[in-house]
Amino acid sequence: MLSKNSGVKDMAQPALQGIKVLDFGWALVGSLTGKHLADNGAKVIRVESSTRIDLSRTNRMVKISSGNNPDDKPWYTHLNTSKLGLVLNLKKPQAKSIIKKLIQWADVINENFTPGTLSKLGIDYNFVKTIKPDIIMLSSSAYGQTGPLAYEWGVDGTGLAMSGYLDQTGWPDRTPVGANAPFGDVVLPYINAMAIIAALDYKRRTGKGQYIDTSMVEVCVHSNTPNLLDYQANNHFRKRNGNRIDYASPHGAFPCKGEDRWCTIAVFNENEWQAFCHVIGNPAWTKDPKFTDMKSRKQNEDELENLISQWTSQYTDYEVMYKMQTAGVPAGVVQTMADIVDGDPQLREREFLLPIKNPELGVFGHPTPAYKLTKTKAKVRHAPSMGEHTEFICINVLGLTDEEFAELVGQNVFE
Amino acid sequence: MDMFENLLSGYRALDLTDEKGFICGKILATLGIEVIKVEPPGGDPARSIPPFLNGEPDINNSLYWLSYNTDKHSITLNLEFKRGRALFRKLVAKCDFLIESFKPGYLDSIGLGYIALTKINPRIILTSITPFGQKGPYSRFKGSEIVVSAMSGIMSTNGDSDRPPLREGPDTVYFESNAAAALGTVLAHHVREKTGEGQQVDVSMQEVAVKRTSSNLLVWEFDKCLIKRAGTIRTIGARSTHWIWECKDGHIFWSFMGGKPGSQGNRAMSKWIDDDGMENPLRVITNWEEFDMAAQDVSKDLLDAQQEAIRQFFLRHTKKEITEEGFKRGLNACAINDPSDILENPQLKARDYWANINSLKTDNPLKYPKYFFLSNQTENFVKSAAPVVGEYNDVIYRNELKLSAKEITKLESSGVI
Repeated sequence: MLSKNSGVKDMAQPALQGIKVLDFGWALVGSLTGKHLADNGAKVIRVESSTRIDLSRTNRMVKISSGNNPDDKPWYTHLNTSKLGLVLNLKKPQAKSIIKKLIQWADVINENFTPGTLSKLGIDYNFVKTIKPDIIMLSSSAYGQTGPLAYEWGVDGTGLAMSGYLDQTGWPDRTPVGANAPFGDVVLPYINAMAIIAALDYKRRTGKGQYIDTSMVEVCVHSNTPNLLDYQANNHFRKRNGNRIDYASPHGAFPCKGEDRWCTIAVFNENEWQAFCHVIGNPAWTKDPKFTDMKSRKQNEDELENLISQWTSQYTDYEVMYKMQTAGVPAGVVQTMADIVDGDPQLREREFLLPIKNPELGVFGHPTPAYKLTKTKAKVRHAPSMGEHTEFICINVLGLTDEEFAELVGQNVFE
Repeated sequence: MDMFENLLSGYRALDLTDEKGFICGKILATLGIEVIKVEPPGGDPARSIPPFLNGEPDINNSLYWLSYNTDKHSITLNLEFKRGRALFRKLVAKCDFLIESFKPGYLDSIGLGYIALTKINPRIILTSITPFGQKGPYSRFKGSEIVVSAMSGIMSTNGDSDRPPLREGPDTVYFESNAAAALGTVLAHHVREKTGEGQQVDVSMQEVAVKRTSSNLLVWEFDKCLIKRAGTIRTIGARSTHWIWECKDGHIFWSFMGGKPGSQGNRAMSKWIDDDGMENPLRVITNWEEFDMAAQDVSKDLLDAQQEAIRQFFLRHTKKEITEEGFKRGLNACAINDPSDILENPQLKARDYWANINSLKTDNPLKYPKYFFLSNQTENFVKSAAPVVGEYNDVIYRNELKLSAKEITKLESSGVI
């Protein structure tokens, strides 16, 4: 089941109406950067080629996806909503005339090839600005465009390892672990889109464009700043410590009724502790000096967690959550994807997945922006199939004649 | 010499947030927006979050708070008092943004909800960062990093299968939600400059975090298959492989991936195992581009044997060998960095990534990450330390709102500022 379509009429144009984006973005970071702009109303032309196919177009994580059809990959569609699709082999010399027209057309260029790739193709920023001096161009990569590792390839885990996320995640007696969900690959596109929109405002006021260089690793490191300061100021290495943190207790995931069901509980202060004790019926052990203040609870946390687990095991995870929340204690079920897609009433209220019909895959949920602008709502449309808008873009946007277009088709430029 | 400016110099934001929302203001401050933290007298309660400078709890010593409030100013103001709210309205009239992370409904309850704010300043942008969003059945729930991580499904995919689901080490939910909030805020600003009208930006941390699980959602939606926590194994399809490994002196990230994305690294791994003179079950693969464990036809026995060889290989080498030699060989493995490794990382140093910031009470400056992005035209850097409580009171109350010394003393003694 998907979230309902609210049917609210758009009262205003989308936020980025009129902004034109030439989008070479691929994989996660590039695709999502363009998606933020496209979902908010920018006209985004996604340029891709079957000669270097996007990894999300080959991904076969679900059974419906075949080995050879680039358009039956739901992950690709999740990452590329609301864009226009152009296929173009950038390595063909004849592609250059199309690229030049696209640069002239665009306000913004987004790309995340391995650094150096656009230079090899002869379309890096130095070239682009000769055609459009006030262009805003953004390049993102794992390590950034400069430095000894600039040309190295990186994936999401690169950011997790380099930034200290993995060092901090896991049990103290075990190997570090990480969630089965990208982090830097999803955070960086927020920063990218923000920088691009702020640069549009700068251009509005000064007339100047700019070149922006972002690194996934560098953005991830910010998330670890407190530990970096702790090490510098106090010569202290914080060790990964399961679900425990230094300023709350209890703080963890507790077992509930059913198979592999858990509810998190987090008690930050005396009021919440009193409320927590009340919810669990004020058993005698809560009056034991071992547990009466935060400091003593931290010292006896193994025992505390065992006692709490005995109580939570009598209830379902949602019962524990509601009992705690009703009393003002922060608590939340460890929801599975099934709970989220089929059940979560809060996410449904927010239309976190919008049902959209895809020609190959039928109707399924497409992610909407999680930051909701209350007046200028995002408008999410289906992702383009391979080359869906090639002819439209060449003729209606770039002004090629039918003959010119046919000639380029004959030269296999659109592959 | 070029004079660099920031992207959004000349605008002002009032920041009413705690730990759930103060990174948004930090990001906006690097863009050149003047961010004024409005704290209750006695300071933002989040100033009590450890670790502390010299291990000494003090409202100006929280390294957590100092990390995420750089480049801001601080004034104190008690919004619970009528007089406090009157002063706040005067500030609202002169600002461009307001960022808050109160429980939904709180600002309305003290007469400072979005509609009330627009009557003072129709251009204002109100960015609200909350665990579950402004409306809906969970909107009044209390949330924190671990609670939202649980509700977003992230936790269900993190941890060892024989132990409880795990939170992530850094506060990823706060961090990502605040990056999303900064984008929403700048987007609303873009609209305002066209229409003259502000709006509210409603950020739900849960929804932001859920968007990270896109591929897991799809696997459930299409195949009714649940991705669960699996320790150091990354679930990528029919055959899942390890992506975190123990080495001689620590841990390594190296993803054993199939198809073209993994081909270069796999080839380098096979070659290095050969060069080490070890038994090498990777050698049987000649076309790594075609070798894709996400497809059904890769033998589990072969994958197990290959991963055992890789495990033995990593145990023979140090973090330094694996990363330095590995980059030359195209292995593309990464050491799992501790804080010292990060601060010494040659790539970050070469990019001039660290800003030396003199915080209160430290004799030596501490290194902070300097930027979220680089630009050839503008400079959007972390430049100054987080403020001590109320350091900007004089500038705002005396110079800007023109209150007399007598009035200020009265406000102080009555607990308004």
